[in-house]
Amino acid sequence: MTTESVLEEWLHRCIRCSTCKYVFRQYSPSCPSGEFYRFESYWASGRLALGRGLKMNELDWSDDIAEALFTCTTCGSCEEQCQAPHARSIVKIIEEVREQYVQKVGPLPRHKAFADNVAEHHNPYGNTHHARGIVAECGLPTRADTAFFIGCTSNYRETSIRDAAISIMKKANVDFTVVDEHCCGSPLLRTGQTDSVLELAKHNLAQFEAAGCRRIVTACAGCYRTLTQEYPGLLGSFDIEIVHLSQMIKELIKDGSLSIESEFPGHFTYHDPCHLGRHGGVYEEPRDVMRLLRLDVSEMSLNRANAWCCGAGGGVRSAFRDMAESTARERIRQAETIGADHVITCCPFCVNNLTSSSDGEVDVSDLVEIVDRMSVANPRQRARESE
Amino acid sequence: MGLVDCLNDIVGPKYVSDRVPERYLYSFDMTENPPQRPAVVVMPENVKEIQQIVGLANETKTPLVPFITGQNVGGLTIPQEPDAIMVDLKRMDRILRVDDDAMYALVEPGVTFGHLRKFLDEHHPSLRYTYPLAPPFTSVVANALLQGLCDLSTRHGAMADFVNGVEVVLPTGEVVRTGSSILGDENWFGRYPLPDLFGLFSGWQGMTGIVTKMALQLWPKPPFIEHAALFTFDEEATTQLLQGLVRTQVLDDADCMSLSLVKMLLGVPPPVHAMEGEPDYGTLLSLSGSTKIETQQKLKTLRRIVESPEHGLSRPLLIDWDAITALMGDQAASWVDFPSDAFKILTEYDGLTWVGTYIHPRNWGAALAGGRRIVEKHGFELMAFLKPMNGMHYGEFKFIIRFPKDETTVERVRLCNEELLDHALDQNAIPYKTPVWAAKKLIARADPEFVNLVKRIREMLDPNGIMNPGRWGI
Ligand SMILES: Cc1cc2nc3c(=O)[nH]c(=O)nc-3n(C[C@H](O)[C@H](O)[C@H](O)COP(=O)(O)OP(=O)(O)OC[C@H]3O[C@@H](n4cnc5c(N)ncnc54)[C@H](O)[C@@H]3O)c2cc1C
Repeated sequence: MTTESVLEEWLHRCIRCSTCKYVFRQYSPSCPSGEFYRFESYWASGRLALGRGLKMNELDWSDDIAEALFTCTTCGSCEEQCQAPHARSIVKIIEEVREQYVQKVGPLPRHKAFADNVAEHHNPYGNTHHARGIVAECGLPTRADTAFFIGCTSNYRETSIRDAAISIMKKANVDFTVVDEHCCGSPLLRTGQTDSVLELAKHNLAQFEAAGCRRIVTACAGCYRTLTQEYPGLLGSFDIEIVHLSQMIKELIKDGSLSIESEFPGHFTYHDPCHLGRHGGVYEEPRDVMRLLRLDVSEMSLNRANAWCCGAGGGVRSAFRDMAESTARERIRQAETIGADHVITCCPFCVNNLTSSSDGEVDVSDLVEIVDRMSVANPRQRARESE
Repeated sequence: MGLVDCLNDIVGPKYVSDRVPERYLYSFDMTENPPQRPAVVVMPENVKEIQQIVGLANETKTPLVPFITGQNVGGLTIPQEPDAIMVDLKRMDRILRVDDDAMYALVEPGVTFGHLRKFLDEHHPSLRYTYPLAPPFTSVVANALLQGLCDLSTRHGAMADFVNGVEVVLPTGEVVRTGSSILGDENWFGRYPLPDLFGLFSGWQGMTGIVTKMALQLWPKPPFIEHAALFTFDEEATTQLLQGLVRTQVLDDADCMSLSLVKMLLGVPPPVHAMEGEPDYGTLLSLSGSTKIETQQKLKTLRRIVESPEHGLSRPLLIDWDAITALMGDQAASWVDFPSDAFKILTEYDGLTWVGTYIHPRNWGAALAGGRRIVEKHGFELMAFLKPMNGMHYGEFKFIIRFPKDETTVERVRLCNEELLDHALDQNAIPYKTPVWAAKKLIARADPEFVNLVKRIREMLDPNGIMNPGRWGI
């Protein structure tokens, strides 16, 4: 799928100075796989060197290199820390090498399994596809200004996030529908299985257009990254605005469409999902919403561009569960260190991995679940509903 | 049982790898020195595990190569013999103690400059260590073992001079300590008055044992620090002026570099070349004091020397740091906040190398001028770096080359470095962090009895020749 080779463009870069390994000038760990495995090959600099070795035929394409190559969560922290000219291309280079690996050696078995599921069921979990069924179930219009792109993790695993998102938009009287969405392609893009992604993107765009949507809103950080960063490259420019639900919620609260009536006691912290923060540049809106909710919030020392990854992304949770869980436990530990009893995030995949790796000391929720719990429709909307 | 199984038993399988990626990654570094793959990489966590690895290496006559981050810029972690065990010491990264009274830190080999700085800022804010112009995540211990240079070297000398003592696993497996800590765990205050056994490990590039602890001197953080920039012309004039400035004893440090390096810091894209009429060198001068008046007076002293009429037409310029800040913006503060981010100008490609030496002050200017001609002849960017060392008892200079590691360029780099080294040796300069090819050239010219003694000591300490064999070409 890659047309211009980023690997070739940056082939002779990276002296392996280790700057990618730690938060620059703060000196805290930044790379989940490097911290877990510790060998040089598991940090960004090691992977770039592997890519170069493969390109220069100093290494053979074989499954020997799979673990070093596929344990990167593509969280992008290395890109924030690296001070060299190629900094902003590190994740792209890793993804390109993965793509070549899949072409030459084949996908990792666990990754292939979810790609097969996407092909057969349109979602990586292999659940029965039912996206559009929600329209009837929730009494939504079939055409609307806004499409709620649910995302597979919300739709088939963390369904309370999906339900909360729909509930919030209904309370705020948003004109929205749900289209016959297929997987956005994110898990395939991250794991080098790029062949079918263009088809997925075309399908989804056709659905948005058929439903007359001019705006897509999603609560999933991974979908948000793929829709905003990858779809334009795949499909060319298209005239549909893409927002993350946290951005929309902020506006809905501010313009009075949603009223916050209850309180939520506890000590909260916010975990930046990598796909939303570093890759999408959305750091402040979720925090603004938490302020509007009047939650008692403290920051973990690694936040925003330096946030520690939850460990799930890049196909790591499916293929390297130990590392994913150990990384998540570290994030939970960071939350505990500041005395937080509740971690809020904006990504169903982060919720999933953090929750399953937590010993229960800290609650983990998606922001939309908290907003739904604390909000009511504005008085006008309530009056309309009671008519 | 095979080697890998034995190592698995010692450190656990998670920290042993004979897989292709690790063997490949540990086979080369950023320099032009030829690669060689180790048989296996192992990551011990404590002294006992290191002792067991050393025992295994003796039994099987397997070479051991200590590694921390591999950024020595001399190919020093590239195995010189096949089938070596690479001993990556990153997991031993504890700062064991900071002694506020005797002002030292006791650290394990995996501790990096960045981590030490963070630890001191958080727990001992009145103390500072000293930092090279290296990336922040290189090893403090390896740097001291390699006798590197840092941002207090102009005042205090090479980093090995800051070592109070070490704990070492000898090539035969015993654990020994050098210095005052022979009288107890909380007693790492110095090396004297004792036979100075640190010399058995300092400058040996991992050939005489694996250092597991090192005590390093810290200094009180001065309340007032000033910087200024000095711009100079011509090699002889520059080195002479630096000698005069350092002999006033008001400077903590002086980093002198080809103007191209300053231009790189200002963001000029590669290749950066000298322009007619511009100064040849820019020097970052650092000084400190207990009061503002003290630092101002020190600056005045420097200014008096710089502005003396004897400099003739090519007058040096001393510029206040405020003016530099106006020119460079945030980069100015970042440059002088060590571990500095100035190293980033050396991360342009995948290749970085240098010929670096310590040299008699008398030969400093001539060495620099000759080196410049060689670099220009070979068509590389002019990236000289020099530092007055230890109160100007000696000088340092190196010619840095940043380069893409394609075959043709690597060959050009080799030729240039060889010529630079021959030239430096002609000036009786001693190369530091010597790759094998450079050490061989040094040995060929050195007093043979010195070389014999080095060999005898090595044989005595390491009868099976397991520690980093082939280093120094011996
Ligand atoms: C861009 C750049 C700029 C630099 N600038 C400077 C500078 O200004 N001043 C300066 O002094 N250096 C500089 N350096 C060099 C570098 O900082 C040091 O040499 C480095 O600190 C060594 O640490 P390391 O982790 O790279 O050691 P490694 O390269 O891993 O090891 C170095 C050597 O020590 C041996 N060794 C490692 N650990 C042990 C041990 N525990 N016991 C015995 N032997 C051991 C190894 O076998 C090897 O021979 C620079 C490097 C770079 C890349």
